[in-house]
Amino acid sequence: MKTVTAARILGVSVSMLALVGAMPVQAAPSGVLVIAENETPENLDPANAVNSTVNQLLVGVYNTLVQFPAGKTAVEPQLATDWDISEDGKTYTFTLRDDVTFHDGSPLTAADVVFTLDRLQAASAAVMNDMGPYAGADAVDDTTVKLTLDAPFGPFISALSRIYIVSKAMVEPHMGDDNARGWLAVNDAGSGPYQVNSYAPTEAVSLTAYDNYWGGWDGDHVAEVLFRYVSEPSTQMALLRSGEVHIAPDITVEDKQSLMDTEGFAVDIGAAATPLFFQFNTASEGPTGDPAFRKMLAQTFDRQLHLDIVLAGFGTLPDGPLPPDWMGHVSGTELPFDLDAARAMVEENGWDGTELTVRYLPGIQEETSAVEQLQSNLSQLGITLNAEGMTWPAQAATVTDVATTSDINMIYNFPTFPDPHAILNTTFNSANSGANGGYNWAQYSNPEVDALLNEAASESDPAKRAELYGQVQELIGQDHVVITVSLPGSVVAMSDKVKGYIYNAAHHQTFNYWNISVN
Amino acid sequence: MGNLTSYPKGALEWAAIFLAVAILIMALFGGWFTPYDPLQIDFRGKLQPPSGEHWLGTDGSGRDVLSRLMAGAQLTILSTLVVIAVVLVIGCAIGITSAFVGGWLDNLLMRLADIWLGFPPLILALGFAAALGSSLEAAIWALIFSWWPNYARLSRMITNDILSEPFVAGATALGVPTWRKVVFYVIPNAFDVLIIQVTLDISAVMLAISGLSFIGVGAQIPAPEWGAMIAGGRAHAGSAWWVVMVPGLAIFVTALAFNIIGDMLRRELDPTTRRRA
Amino acid sequence: MAYILQRVAFSALSLFVLVFITFLLSHVVPGDPAIAAAGPNAGAEKIAALRTEMGLDEPFVTQFLIYCGNILQGDLGTSWFTHQPILDDLLRELPPSLELVVIAMVINLAISLPVGLLTARYNGTTFDDIVRLFAMAGAGLPIFWTAILLQQSFAADWQLFPVAGRIGFEYRAFEGITGFYLLDSILRGRPDVFFDVLSHLILPAFALSLLFTAVGVRITRTSMIGEFRKDYVTLARAKGAGEGRIMFRHVFPNGATPSLTVFGMQFGWMLGATVLVEEIFGRPGIGRYAVKAVTQSDIHGVVAVVFVVGLVFLLANLAVDMTLYALSPRKRAEG
Repeated sequence: MKTVTAARILGVSVSMLALVGAMPVQAAPSGVLVIAENETPENLDPANAVNSTVNQLLVGVYNTLVQFPAGKTAVEPQLATDWDISEDGKTYTFTLRDDVTFHDGSPLTAADVVFTLDRLQAASAAVMNDMGPYAGADAVDDTTVKLTLDAPFGPFISALSRIYIVSKAMVEPHMGDDNARGWLAVNDAGSGPYQVNSYAPTEAVSLTAYDNYWGGWDGDHVAEVLFRYVSEPSTQMALLRSGEVHIAPDITVEDKQSLMDTEGFAVDIGAAATPLFFQFNTASEGPTGDPAFRKMLAQTFDRQLHLDIVLAGFGTLPDGPLPPDWMGHVSGTELPFDLDAARAMVEENGWDGTELTVRYLPGIQEETSAVEQLQSNLSQLGITLNAEGMTWPAQAATVTDVATTSDINMIYNFPTFPDPHAILNTTFNSANSGANGGYNWAQYSNPEVDALLNEAASESDPAKRAELYGQVQELIGQDHVVITVSLPGSVVAMSDKVKGYIYNAAHHQTFNYWNISVN
Repeated sequence: MGNLTSYPKGALEWAAIFLAVAILIMALFGGWFTPYDPLQIDFRGKLQPPSGEHWLGTDGSGRDVLSRLMAGAQLTILSTLVVIAVVLVIGCAIGITSAFVGGWLDNLLMRLADIWLGFPPLILALGFAAALGSSLEAAIWALIFSWWPNYARLSRMITNDILSEPFVAGATALGVPTWRKVVFYVIPNAFDVLIIQVTLDISAVMLAISGLSFIGVGAQIPAPEWGAMIAGGRAHAGSAWWVVMVPGLAIFVTALAFNIIGDMLRRELDPTTRRRA
Repeated sequence: MAYILQRVAFSALSLFVLVFITFLLSHVVPGDPAIAAAGPNAGAEKIAALRTEMGLDEPFVTQFLIYCGNILQGDLGTSWFTHQPILDDLLRELPPSLELVVIAMVINLAISLPVGLLTARYNGTTFDDIVRLFAMAGAGLPIFWTAILLQQSFAADWQLFPVAGRIGFEYRAFEGITGFYLLDSILRGRPDVFFDVLSHLILPAFALSLLFTAVGVRITRTSMIGEFRKDYVTLARAKGAGEGRIMFRHVFPNGATPSLTVFGMQFGWMLGATVLVEEIFGRPGIGRYAVKAVTQSDIHGVVAVVFVVGLVFLLANLAVDMTLYALSPRKRAEG
């Protein structure tokens, strides 16, 4: 962490100079914000920013060309001041700010943007999976960069919100034979408001304010942000109560409810857009291969009860796979809960006595509750649902083959950006089957749906895209591919000393800590 | 010190025996007499404290804790007994073979047993359960896999002791076949020591099973295995004490009862303590 | 000398077998590390390329031989997920866990040895009965349950100890030398840090040690009883030696040696059991690292953890064996 210390000293001296130089008066960041997190980060590499634990750290350490402001679902300029899209939709030309410096004090130029993208591509970075037909980048001059695509790609601008720009000068010496993955895993090379102060991935990560941040430090901010990795909800709750952490996102719903009425605490409810699915194995030789059986299953889950009790009302009642306020959402594509209708179908077809298996992640409280709910309802129909708790890679490995895919898989979709593409294409395009690392764990393959999804991805007209996505939702509704279980809100408990917390809906499970102050 | 053989069965021992029998009966039949359906969820009635209606309260999904405890006794205790029965047979087979054959095989098997004890059992079980898929069966296999060396070492030691007795040496000289020696000399003489070990191991295996369920690689929802009950309630530990306390106490009391009986059996049966006294 | 060499050679062989079995196990595990490493929506081509890059296309035996070759050169590989040399990761995670285990062991010994000695001396008295009952009760306590209860009562409700973590908030900038904070705070002359770190260790160490202490008391008691029955004790008593002298000069050192073997093994088992306590008390350490490695199918990470925990287990046993060997005239004669 030598480089970081050096940068810190540099930062301090620069800020002193700034004070002398009669800059606009601004309060220096002060105080410490302590945040609990249940998952430990794998590394600090922006290549890995699809992982929300990593992304939460990086979102304030790095900058992107464009970004979703907290609580908004439309991009705004960040490093880029404006951009231009060519007629054929395959060339994007960005004009960059000229006042941005990295944490080592060097200015950000188009060469850094090109270097960032080239490196991510060479490193087979996970963030590049969402970049569609991206082809390459060229620096036109210091403040102009041109990105080219092999084909038009509607959500391209949105996808750029996860491409954190690294400093070429800082990273290049460490490229080695691993594309600097080892170096960036524990060091930062960003231009964001905070820089990495210390990194102990199973314990805590400390970020400190970068005094020379290009965005300035108007208003109240904290000087240090400390992430503490605490996996047990009851431990997080005890830490929050004792005042050792300010923000505890992972405590139980019951504890959150009780804190709402407790002096000294506040609970923020953000509209999240992370649908939770039961996906039926549509290609199965077993019962779920039969559309009629799936139609029966589709009516056996009480979403309202789940929202009211399991989520304590914190969330949106799902109405199909897309969040209702998203572009292209169509209402009523999934069958409502109707156990009597399901029972009639079971009796009619003699499905009584069927045994099914569901795989899920037991570490997630609401997944466990949803499985218990489904088990309970199916048992009333004489259907046994065996639950198998798994780890993520183990579950992901079972869906690489239709034969090993269980009848039902429970899976969260964490859209990388708020665009129907990020939910519908990853979940229902046959190209995104489990074997390809996609979330189509239903092994769903409908050429019509695939064609519509591909057409929508390469279309740039929002109205046309919305219409295409509407057709997709109708088709998958008719095929009974999934039950959309819930759209849980982001419910985060915090001390009432915390001011300025806004859930960042576009970067699921994150918030912009640089806008927060602690009284 | 003379009271070792004439040790009176005190109130504590009787209480332990009574408890152990009661728990075994609960394990066999408890599932039939639960006041509520142990699997029936009722989200609207979740986390109710103990009351006249629910003697031990309800859990995070509104299920009756007492009913789950009664139904869970079967899972927890019977799987413990299965593990012990299997490791007893496998371990003794290996240990007795090792002692009889001797030489390099004895060396190899015992070194293998020593190595086995070096495995971090929880981490091993994590990998094991991941390979077989998480289930109570996988946890049982993982425990059998890691527990056999204890019995192999113990039974080898006993067998060697017996083989060195003059009457066995005599039998060997008379050409008594090995299987007869095993059946007529080793097993009856080993019985006492093994029964003590088994009783004491009941608590250890039970703790291990519940530990595996706790880290999520044992019993699966909605099974009311006691360790899984603690795991399911751990998030509520600060606000609803009964969901963690009750199954934990059940494990504790059961383990204690069997430990007391094991201790008593040791005083009554163990030839080493008897001889020395 | 031959005995020592034999022990060391056997330990090395054990370690090899340990690594082999773990390596084998991790390959049977269905998780595909390439899919996990590639991230969501990677596409078949990218996953296949990564699989090749990660060496997962090689036959199992080749993978194992390459791995063994690397281990012999002191290279535990680079993690597919942290992208750091696994050795560095472990060197960071091992000290907090070892610190926890050492304190748990100290608690264990501080209770087991004196209580074992006293119950052996007062064998058959009410005191003995009460201790035995406590020992039997302790052997029935699930570690994770004790940990939750201790944390909720002593830390959360009564605020006598910190709830979680390894070091207090105000000392978060404390920089270690060795990574063992207790040692480092002494080296740096910081008693305040020392006591802060110790207060963070008490509850987790106690939760971890209870089960082992229960066994420790029982084992020590048994071997001490055996010692009290030896002829020399009767002789010493006949000669009119004081009970205190008999207990502490003769019985204790002789009776403690056989239980040392058990304590040696307990050290390794405790290290393997830290995972339960570390999760609950939010402490960094090898247990949490192991769980993360397993959940990501980070095969090299898992194997390395087993390797290191196995190594500690064997070293602890080796150390105990050496001590016993050094102390025992009989073994010396045989060697």
